Amino acid sequence: MSIRRPVPVANVRAPVLLGTLLLATLPIASVAAQELDPLSKLDAPSKFTVQLLVDSAQAAGLPSRALMSTALEGIAMKVDGKRIVAAVRREYSFLQTARASLGPVGDEELTAAASVLEAGAKPAALVAFRARQNGRSDLEAFTIWADLITRGVPKEDASTAITKLWQDGADDAIFHSLWNNVQTDILQGLNPGTALQNRIRETPGRAPPGPGKPPEGQQENQSSK
Amino acid sequence: MTEPKVAILIVTAALLVPASRGGLAAQLVSKIDAGQYSVSDGVLPMSTFRVSPAVQWLTPYAHVTARGSAYLTDQQVQLADGIVSGTFTSPTVYGVRAEMIGNASRAVDDRSLGTDQVDVQTRVHVLFHQHGGVWFGGGVARPWRIAVISSAEVADAGAWGKIGETTARFGSATMTATFTNFSFSKIASLGDSGSATTSAASACDVAAPSGVASSTPLRALFSESAASVDACSRQSRFADLEGSVHWEAGPLELTAQTGHRFGNAYDVTPDSRQWSSASATVWLTDRVAIIGGGGRQPALPLRGLPARSYGMAGLEIAYSPMSKSAVPVSLPHAVLVHSFEIHTAPSGLQKIVIHVGGVETVDVMGDFSDWSPLTLVRRGRDLWELSVPVSPGVHQINVRVDGGPWMAPPGIPTVRDAFDGEVGMIVVQAPKSDR
Repeated sequence: MSIRRPVPVANVRAPVLLGTLLLATLPIASVAAQELDPLSKLDAPSKFTVQLLVDSAQAAGLPSRALMSTALEGIAMKVDGKRIVAAVRREYSFLQTARASLGPVGDEELTAAASVLEAGAKPAALVAFRARQNGRSDLEAFTIWADLITRGVPKEDASTAITKLWQDGADDAIFHSLWNNVQTDILQGLNPGTALQNRIRETPGRAPPGPGKPPEGQQENQSSK
Repeated sequence: MTEPKVAILIVTAALLVPASRGGLAAQLVSKIDAGQYSVSDGVLPMSTFRVSPAVQWLTPYAHVTARGSAYLTDQQVQLADGIVSGTFTSPTVYGVRAEMIGNASRAVDDRSLGTDQVDVQTRVHVLFHQHGGVWFGGGVARPWRIAVISSAEVADAGAWGKIGETTARFGSATMTATFTNFSFSKIASLGDSGSATTSAASACDVAAPSGVASSTPLRALFSESAASVDACSRQSRFADLEGSVHWEAGPLELTAQTGHRFGNAYDVTPDSRQWSSASATVWLTDRVAIIGGGGRQPALPLRGLPARSYGMAGLEIAYSPMSKSAVPVSLPHAVLVHSFEIHTAPSGLQKIVIHVGGVETVDVMGDFSDWSPLTLVRRGRDLWELSVPVSPGVHQINVRVDGGPWMAPPGIPTVRDAFDGEVGMIVVQAPKSDR
């Protein structure tokens, strides 16, 4: 009489489990490799051009992250490679122009100023922002400026209003309040230009606290740190 | 399937999930209702403390829901009913979407160990600009443990319309009309007649005596002997016409519905001819609501459940509340982000807070996420939150609801992006210590 020896269950299960884990990990490893290169979804020529522009920006001291962000946005929106390259090239150009207008400022200021130029403002309008007090950030002003132009406020009107407020020492709260009032009026049907004209009259400029304006080119941008 | 195989399958599935990128914007939501429940059907206790938990797994094109209720009797928890439901919905193409629904449910009462039912149904839904629609569909309902009733063919059609917006002063109201037809075979037996002198054959006659079904001993429904030689099969048919109004304004939600059942006296008991009910929900916070309601429900012949009057009052608690749908079909939710806020959390992360009601998923993406979607977590009835690291500076951000189109969030400056779309702009200030 033979006694059938039971097969140790654990010995059978372990290789099966390990094999399954290995197989399951393969696609993850593949995906992880792709994740290392965020531009992997671009076609080769477009990817090459974008990388070239990013490298050029780094060499020129421009915020290359903004260019990469534009490319990644295009990829996320499933835009074709040519349009992405064109958008990155345009962004590069705006960053160059912004720096020429503003002087040596931080990456955040340059990126925000580039968005104002992209909205349609003239580069000369940015020059007024070269002068600023210590601790004063122009990010809110640039953001509101770009928004007003996008909403249909005439470019000249928007530029004049924002520049005037900036020179009068308006702080972030004043810029935001102006934007809030104007967009409310526009939503209620008022012409965008008229809405800005009406609201700018009732918006007070305010002298910022602290020391006087430093010489041009020596501004310190706190928010970029 | 043996336990090791199940374990391997689960491990494999869990490992494969991260490999499947995109389209996995799933969320688990849940709620629990607890309160006093009174009913007059003679089956459940007259008045009892009742608890109804529900959990739902949501993706843009599939929902899986499990819910049930139990009541407390003699210091013991007694299961009343439970249902597991799955709905798969196609994308909307030219305002048309298809829906496939499967339900498995059990109702427990004093007369039996419980009745089970499996439903499968398909529907076609035509939408009119998110403010109205019509649908029609059909399916099969298979009751189990009820010996005298066959599978039922179910056909339904309906229409809905919505006026106002949730954010408006007087809120929004949704009106729904539904017509549902049930057709099934029923075994008529001596017991059905209510009289021992009436033969089964006469019970099969079309002209059945009025009120005969109401006098049917309920136990006969569950008795195998009902399908004996003294019985015959009879085709039964009835149709329900229902109308409902759901009004939602601020923290208040009111729902009222009424219905009428068409069919001959053999198939429709007099107490199920007409019914009405109403319920109210008052949200005290984003996660806690007072609920109350009452009215009359018609009999459910496929479940062997009689008509009943009921009343209930209690609390609803939901860490991640489930949407209350005013329309009995799956809707692509209207995109209406009520508000958007971003502020610095104590951890140093930026906390994104979005208010949008009646949706299943909310995603954001922007330069801070390298334009990869980040799914927000539902924290209240219409409250969605996410904490993310965002460096100081100007950032672009977009939001989408239920996997729909990306759009600029409301209440923040907006610019045209490099690809002719719109994108929101946020300014994140540096921490004061860095200045």
